[in-house]
Amino acid sequence: MLAPYLLSLPGGIWLIVLFLVPLIVMLSLSLQRCNPGTGACVMTWHWAEFGQQVSLYHAQFLNSFYFAGAATLIDLVVSFPIAYWIAFHGGNKKNFFLLMLLVPFFVSFVIRTIVWQFILSDHGVFLGTLKNAHLLPQSFHVLATGYAVIAGLAYNYLPFTALPLYVAIERIDKRVLDAAYDLYATRRSAFTKVILPLTVPGLFAAFLLTFIPALGDYVNQQVLGGTGDTMIGSVIQDQFLTQLDYAGGSALSAVLLAIALIGIFAYARLLGSRTIEEYL
Amino acid sequence: MTERNGSDPNESAIDPSIWRGLTQPRLSRRQLLSSAGTGAGALGLAGILSACGVKGVTATSGKVKPGGVGSASWWAKQKPTKTVNFANWPYYIDVLKGKHLSLEHLTATTGITVNYTEPINNNIPFYAKIRPSLAAKQSTGYDIIVMTNNSPALGYLIDFGWLTPLDQAAMKNFYKHAGPLIKNPAWDPGNKHTMAWQSGWTAIGYNSSVIKNPGTSVGILFDKKYAGRVGMMSDPQELGSVGLLAIGVEPATSTESDWAKAAKKLNQQKSDGIVRSYYDQDYITHLKNGDTVVSQAWSGDIFQADLNSKYRDLHLLIPSEGGMFWTDNMCIPMYAQNPRAAMTVMDYFYQPQVEAVVEYYNDYVCPVPAAKQVLLNPTGWAKTALKQMYPEIQLAPSVTADAPTVFPTPQYIKNSRSYYQYKSQEELTAWNNLFVPITQGA
Repeated sequence: MLAPYLLSLPGGIWLIVLFLVPLIVMLSLSLQRCNPGTGACVMTWHWAEFGQQVSLYHAQFLNSFYFAGAATLIDLVVSFPIAYWIAFHGGNKKNFFLLMLLVPFFVSFVIRTIVWQFILSDHGVFLGTLKNAHLLPQSFHVLATGYAVIAGLAYNYLPFTALPLYVAIERIDKRVLDAAYDLYATRRSAFTKVILPLTVPGLFAAFLLTFIPALGDYVNQQVLGGTGDTMIGSVIQDQFLTQLDYAGGSALSAVLLAIALIGIFAYARLLGSRTIEEYL
Repeated sequence: MTERNGSDPNESAIDPSIWRGLTQPRLSRRQLLSSAGTGAGALGLAGILSACGVKGVTATSGKVKPGGVGSASWWAKQKPTKTVNFANWPYYIDVLKGKHLSLEHLTATTGITVNYTEPINNNIPFYAKIRPSLAAKQSTGYDIIVMTNNSPALGYLIDFGWLTPLDQAAMKNFYKHAGPLIKNPAWDPGNKHTMAWQSGWTAIGYNSSVIKNPGTSVGILFDKKYAGRVGMMSDPQELGSVGLLAIGVEPATSTESDWAKAAKKLNQQKSDGIVRSYYDQDYITHLKNGDTVVSQAWSGDIFQADLNSKYRDLHLLIPSEGGMFWTDNMCIPMYAQNPRAAMTVMDYFYQPQVEAVVEYYNDYVCPVPAAKQVLLNPTGWAKTALKQMYPEIQLAPSVTADAPTVFPTPQYIKNSRSYYQYKSQEELTAWNNLFVPITQGA
């Protein structure tokens, strides 16, 4: 009788200690006021904190949504062919190709981002050659703009998109393709009318798994961005590490969490909640 | 279940228990767990939330109680030990193929082994790392740490009594050899808690192959000619100070209205598109890359960049308005386990011979002016050490000795400006509220 509850105990304790408790502490901190010097935090039930933080940093929130959204769309467009090809035509080398997708993860996140500084450098490999050939004006630069941030985000989070997409596409029973061909479908209509709708839950999962982490990213903007494209993740990091304003940082994190949750539930309603349970 | 035929209205076609089951709400196991969670959460939340305040520490402004830690009688009781844990910034001590010659000489002459680590990359995050131990009255694991005077962290440490007051009687080398810039400084009168490690200027680094005539003003950072290629620092103290210099105000004596004007000028600089980005320590990479042609820079970084023939075009400009003079200070955190040995190590570095070897690598402002003569005419251990380091550094020691950015000339001393000393947390918050949004703004 008790067995199911006992079995869920390890996972439950893990979730409670490492997820619920920090979440509650964070929410509680947002209502407090912290002294940066002493580290003393006093509970003030300051509900207005959330509104204040949003009004102070609404531009950075919008930046984050814009960059994360653009990067996710690029990732979806790029990963779909990759995932499709590996799933349908990978043959017995599927694991190798999946490993190739994951190889960049062996390098530290920050180093991977800094490498893009060299790739996109004003006088580096790409821009330098184009400028020498007078195809670009000398003052043209990609670094220190929003485009470099989007490129960095898209690169860093590509495996998060490709892998769920691969999993979803792999599940499709290849026989439906045969069935479609039997029913006189062309290759194109077989793809658009049969395969694509079946991959929608995978697209949904891949979008979420890419968009949410990219939303809170703080490395790409600092390394590749300029003056006008601060993301909310950088603000939160600055508040926690440099300003030592734990209350403000927690409030911002709580607002980001709330926005993300609202977004997910709205998105789930659109595509049907059944898909969450099946694919996440 | 019997089939419904509806012919006899009095006959109940479906068993009443089944009706109950079909029409009454059922509590599934999942619903039970989720509601239990919410219930417990709601009950406990109020209690937990209000209990989540953290008791803080009151400011003691570092006063020493008679007989308390740091007093003469306390120091008399401290026994010398054989190890010292020294936490410093990276690339801040002489290094030759992984060995530190100055530290080896220290072990040879005093028998103390220094456990030298480089965990400090930024003042405030490091302060946040050691603060919990200090607040809990436990050892931080470090005997010597190095904090910059322009960061609030050093002020917090002194104000909250978290630095062991130094044993003035054990600072013989310091009082004999320390330079005027770092003896009895504004941030630590009487050197009660700190001894300088190195100093430097935050001034302007520029690429002389692009900028032929930089002029002498800090206005070069605000020049529209270099729009999109100017680097500024993201540290609020550095950014605000250069803003104050740009409006012709001395940072050390500035007022809040001055800060507002400086913030306005910096915001104007940003909206004019002059700034490429606000950098942390990596501004030097962008100067080297050519991404920026003029940038706020630290004097030692430019000196070290010039050692490499590829970057010899990078020069340092200390403007007529002044260069901000900062000092990294050695201090002993409270509850250190080896305070007596730490004093020995700190005073050891004030010997001109030792400092000459350290300075040969560092190229920041030397706290010991007498080291200049040692670099020009090395003898004894210093001579061997310098000779061993020469192949790696590829620079004659006399070049270091003659550099005004290492051994400041009176002109350079005249152009040095001090940072503003915050009198209260409110002042610091007001300053940060003005300048942090400039770097964080979208």
